[in-house]
Amino acid sequence: MKKLFLSASLFLGSLAAFGAGYQLNMQGLRQLAMGGTGSAWVWDASTIFYNPGGLACLKNIQIYCNVIDIIPRTGYSNGVENQMSVKKTFTPINFYLGGPIRQGSPWAVGIGVYEPFGNGLQWNGDWVGRYIDQSTTLKVYFVQPTLSYRVGSVLSVGAGMVYALGSLDMNRALPVQDQNGNDGQAVLHGTGNGVGFNAGVHFKMSDGLQIGLTYRSQVSFDVNGGSAQFNVPFALRNYFPNTNFGTTIPLPQVATLGFAVRPGERLTFQFDLNYTGWNSLDTLRVNFGQQTTYLRNIAAPRKYKNVFTPRLGVNVKLSRAFSVMGGIAYDPTPVPDNYLSPDLPDANRVTLSCGFAFKPMPRLTILAAYEGMTTVKRTGIYEYAQFYGTYQSTASVPGIGVYYNF
Amino acid sequence: MKKASIIFGLSFLFAACRPNVTVTIPASSGNTDFSVYMSFGSSYAGGFSDNSLEVSGQVNSYPNLLFQQFQLVPGDAGGSKSYFVQPLLNSNNGYPYAKLVLGSFFNPCTMDSIMIPVNYPSFVMDPTDAIRYTWQNSNYNNGQINNMAVPGMRVADLPVAGYVLANPYAARFFLKNAPTNTPLDEIGYRVRNTHPSFVTVDIGLQDILGFALSGGVGDGTGYASPITGTTNVYQDSAITPYAVFQTQYDALVLQAINTPSPKGGGALFSIPDITAMPYFNVFPSNGLVITRQTLADSLNKYWKSYTPKVTINKDFQVGNNQYIVMDHNNNIRQSVPGELILMDAPFFDTSCATMSSFGAHVPIPNKYVLTTEELQEIRSATAIFNNYIYNESLKYHLAYVDVNKYLNNVGYSSVGTTGVVFNGITYNSNFISGGFYSLDGVHLTQRGYAQITNLTIQQVDSFYHATLPLINVNNYNGVLYY
Repeated sequence: MKKLFLSASLFLGSLAAFGAGYQLNMQGLRQLAMGGTGSAWVWDASTIFYNPGGLACLKNIQIYCNVIDIIPRTGYSNGVENQMSVKKTFTPINFYLGGPIRQGSPWAVGIGVYEPFGNGLQWNGDWVGRYIDQSTTLKVYFVQPTLSYRVGSVLSVGAGMVYALGSLDMNRALPVQDQNGNDGQAVLHGTGNGVGFNAGVHFKMSDGLQIGLTYRSQVSFDVNGGSAQFNVPFALRNYFPNTNFGTTIPLPQVATLGFAVRPGERLTFQFDLNYTGWNSLDTLRVNFGQQTTYLRNIAAPRKYKNVFTPRLGVNVKLSRAFSVMGGIAYDPTPVPDNYLSPDLPDANRVTLSCGFAFKPMPRLTILAAYEGMTTVKRTGIYEYAQFYGTYQSTASVPGIGVYYNF
Repeated sequence: MKKASIIFGLSFLFAACRPNVTVTIPASSGNTDFSVYMSFGSSYAGGFSDNSLEVSGQVNSYPNLLFQQFQLVPGDAGGSKSYFVQPLLNSNNGYPYAKLVLGSFFNPCTMDSIMIPVNYPSFVMDPTDAIRYTWQNSNYNNGQINNMAVPGMRVADLPVAGYVLANPYAARFFLKNAPTNTPLDEIGYRVRNTHPSFVTVDIGLQDILGFALSGGVGDGTGYASPITGTTNVYQDSAITPYAVFQTQYDALVLQAINTPSPKGGGALFSIPDITAMPYFNVFPSNGLVITRQTLADSLNKYWKSYTPKVTINKDFQVGNNQYIVMDHNNNIRQSVPGELILMDAPFFDTSCATMSSFGAHVPIPNKYVLTTEELQEIRSATAIFNNYIYNESLKYHLAYVDVNKYLNNVGYSSVGTTGVVFNGITYNSNFISGGFYSLDGVHLTQRGYAQITNLTIQQVDSFYHATLPLINVNNYNGVLYY
């Protein structure tokens, strides 16, 4: 007769785990201002991210740092309830140090610390989708020591091993109500890591044409031993023990082909095409250290698709000390129609960006960039949770940075 | 320079542009008219839950939730349309007896504490609940009652004179309470006062439920005779005679649509399959768990030498075994898979010694068991009644809301159903944890009734080409834990 009235499990469709489109394309400010292009032309030490093969093209050792604010907003409507996500600001910092091991050497070494993946979205705690997502935050930094070699006047190659580290936070309402009708609460927090690599080749065909080809491998970001805490009515405490959890978030592989054309001394055009392997995100699983009849492991289907992203940028050198940049990108969504979920309601994105570079003295450059992103309005359903709605997201991304050549 | 400044300008334009996704689907009534809505029914339509009636259950009853969606349709906002009058109680104590709440039961035999429904411990009947309901707004004090649902009322009760004496819920608001008047008379009177343009009829569950709750001891043939000394009163424990059901149901529908408006309409609700409800499924008929071979041997020996002969289809063994029951002919036998045990079977009332033998050495009395034959009678009656209701919907051109089909989809996780998912919550029929049925195992939680609201909206939208938006089921209460 034990636990007679709780003989069956409550299926927590609610903890639907993490979503998609969590790739960030803002590792260098000049590149950010140019629509996210940067694999073909070597501007600065952020080439450690954009094309490790280009590092050997730098003339000096360079130290580079930038700070970016990401202020995303997402609106939701189901025709009855309208919601705006809570305003939050995320501040990735990117740092690069590298260059030729000595003046004129074909060998170059460097290290980059940058945030290629991250997302944060917080909804009002009592909104209609609270059992699927209240807030989800992912922050992943890559540390990438890099070696690059200039094979000749045309070709240079480079590669770096990537060590990923970061954190994942998820808050969800639980559909177990107390006597006053208040929901239970799940709070998941964990840190994780993973390994991969970033490799590239760079061709300097002429002074007017450069080509880049890069490949960033998939990184499996493993969260182990994260803490899973539950606030539930007294009678259910044994069924929701505070336990640990583990999950793996695939950070997809990205292949890029880029061209840079400089028709005149003052003008540079860049074109990049990214191919991102989102199909690695088939199902997201969250496994709990202790399962009960109420608390079960979660397997949320995502079924993302690979996408091609074209990017276009321009740099105009106005004077010896001052340049301005602009760019545009179109980033199609990897999320299929029946998997549009509120933890990252992705849609086809259009990005416009601009920025400037100012060189107050020969060795020092100050950068500023601004990106505005908007998705198209998208209506869909997350079938797994039977959650329907129309979403639109925008993001405002200002950033400043500085680099110094030794 | 010019190009650059254009791009700068565009970017700032983006920054100014917050996402704007306000979507409005204009609510419309299509080919019908929601301006004055009346509901006819019994427990489900009345918002009965946790084995009692509370004011919060009435406020969140599916007819009231439907009315709130009807109000979204632009149109005449004055007059009776502004009100959906329900004979509201004053308290959440439960009327006329205690509601069920979750409590803890300490089992002295297993030294284990489990969650079970118990009567609300601090129950006191609010004296104001028993006072006859009067509609306080003097402007509309014309006897307007929109939700005519009476918990417990059967189709068989519709022609019974003096019904108010038998039903405290009817007694609270029936105006015509003279012994000569019937529920059908009352309904006719209210309809002529209120002139509904849209009606829902959801009745018939109780015509079968009484038989099932009696463990099938009543007359389930569909041809029961009236109680001796009456012409048209039937035992609660009998299934309403098919012919009586059909005549009275038709009379009710005719009364409901008695004052048609040009675009008037309505919906008829099917009767759920009672045998799928948790009340009859909490205790599986193979719930006799034997842990020791010696006990199995002793049971086999005991029943095989019993006179008169007892049918044992499968020898007792370690593990799950079919309970020993008394069938409707008072024969002792082993139950067969598919037979159902009622939730009020006193598994918890006995001492440790007899608990181990209830259903083992002591047969479970027939009043706690639905045998194969009794189940067949319930299922036949449900099918016959529902077929009749469906034909009525065709005859009077009304929408048909198949509650029976929906409740079967909700289903049990143990038989592999995926349940019904809404905004991230999976609802199924599992007792307590399923979130759909209330603690009495027959009636629904407010979230369950909210799903009936949405089912009705979907059927009405499709039948009348209306566009009523669905409601957010998760805004209402499910099972409340302590």
